[in-house]
Amino acid sequence: MPEQPEASVETAGGGAFPAPHFDVRDFARTAAGSHRERLGLESYRSARLTDDTLRALRYLQIIERATMTHLRSVLVTATHKDARITAFLVTWAYEKYWIADALEQIILAHQPEGAEADRSPFITPVERTIRESIVANIIGVPMIAVHMALGTVDEWLTQAAYRRLADLDGNPQLAQTIAEFLEVKERQLDFFEAQARFRLTESPRARSLTRKRLARTPWPIGAKAEPDSETRWFLTHLFSGAPEVVDEIDARVDTLPGQSGLRLIRKAARL
Amino acid sequence: MAFDIDKYTATSVSVAWQDLDFDEFESNPLPESTLRSLRYMCDIEYHTVCYLRDLLVTPSHKEADVSAFMTMWNREEFWHGEALAAVLGKHGVVVDFDQLKATRLKLGWKDRLDPIKQSLLGNIVGKDFIAVHMIWGAANEWSAVAAYNRLADLEGHPVLAELLRRIAKQEARHVAFYATQARERLAKSKKAQVLARFALKNAWGPVGSSVMEPEEVTHVMGHLFAGDEGLREIRKLDEHISRMPGLEGLTIVETSMKKYGVAA
Ligand SMILES: [Fe+2]
Ligand SMILES: [Fe+2]
Repeated sequence: MPEQPEASVETAGGGAFPAPHFDVRDFARTAAGSHRERLGLESYRSARLTDDTLRALRYLQIIERATMTHLRSVLVTATHKDARITAFLVTWAYEKYWIADALEQIILAHQPEGAEADRSPFITPVERTIRESIVANIIGVPMIAVHMALGTVDEWLTQAAYRRLADLDGNPQLAQTIAEFLEVKERQLDFFEAQARFRLTESPRARSLTRKRLARTPWPIGAKAEPDSETRWFLTHLFSGAPEVVDEIDARVDTLPGQSGLRLIRKAARL
Repeated sequence: MAFDIDKYTATSVSVAWQDLDFDEFESNPLPESTLRSLRYMCDIEYHTVCYLRDLLVTPSHKEADVSAFMTMWNREEFWHGEALAAVLGKHGVVVDFDQLKATRLKLGWKDRLDPIKQSLLGNIVGKDFIAVHMIWGAANEWSAVAAYNRLADLEGHPVLAELLRRIAKQEARHVAFYATQARERLAKSKKAQVLARFALKNAWGPVGSSVMEPEEVTHVMGHLFAGDEGLREIRKLDEHISRMPGLEGLTIVETSMKKYGVAA
């Protein structure tokens, strides 16, 4: 195939376009906002979460709230021109904001009365953005496939992390809250995955570029906001007792066009 | 006046119009020139996310409060787009994502501050540049409040006026955030004042002028801000801006309106 498929993805007038089943306007309309009313925080007074669970929740909170950092690297590329994707991302950021908020509330409920929320600045390597944006703009449309694939793999990983966390701790209220998060995240995954599969199928260049980028990405997305040691702890805590979960995620990555054999999560978790 | 970010996020909602009687537009439709202005405003609201991308290149988003605001703000602006698209839809004007994309592809997104950032190189990631983005945002949000209230008054259409005032109320909350941020950051740094003055003077233009065709900018600005009353509104905007620390005497709105043949 010549390098034309890129154009066909972009000029999808009446023809095929990515994720046609996903109604972005409906997604926006039915976005999941604050979870505060259903967190059952009082229950933690008599049934505290373990310190390890709290540490993992704090890690998750930090990666969930890092949406603006992620958006920055996405929006400086050709991806910002796709109005369906930007409409999706606006709502995606909103939903993640409220998941991070819920995690913060759960953590605060385990601290002494009157404890302050963590409002410390986020850690992100800003200096690289400008150079990266220049590179990404030269690449153009295939970058969109990269972003959609990143979103897909990240959803697979974080959903598995939430599930494992609920299992490991066994607290019923936490399990209920996590089930609520997973519902929110499932819809986000639906969009990312359908977009990624379509774009990877259409374009050989998107496939090779995505492969390079996936291999280079520190997982989970947002890990750069935390010290490496904390990411290592997080992945070890959740997955060292369940290597089959890691293999299952890697097997799913294998099903993305052109992405087989990467073993991303196994490498990230160093299992 | 401090801005309470927790209160803001907790009360951030998508603007409501389902309770308004949109069938009124069938018996009492809006004139062509108003639809043209609404179309412009609708596009701009949807394009807010592109403006976000300009903001994010500076380190402002690393602060939790700023990041929280941006999340809610972007969503509110998206819904302003949806609400105006619904009004246009009642008049047979379809605004869809493919068209928005076409605009972005055709004109591209030109960050008005790009040349300024490039001329400053090392400084662009500095904290002082955040102040520039904040005053820039404040100027845009003040303009939005004025534009929606003006159009509500000018048109005098009961349903449109109610919707536009609801939108304007949200824009006023955006003003509160940006203006508070700008005031604090400018007051703290002489360098930020100099940067902001330089950037506004050299690069500011009416909201949307970097992505919409010039004749559309001229139509909308003329429609909303022509005449003595329009000029009064324009000058009020400049007053807001020039009351900021170190920005005394700036008349960027009036100057840029003149460029588009308004307020001449
Ligand atoms: Fe708006
Ligand atoms: Fe606004």
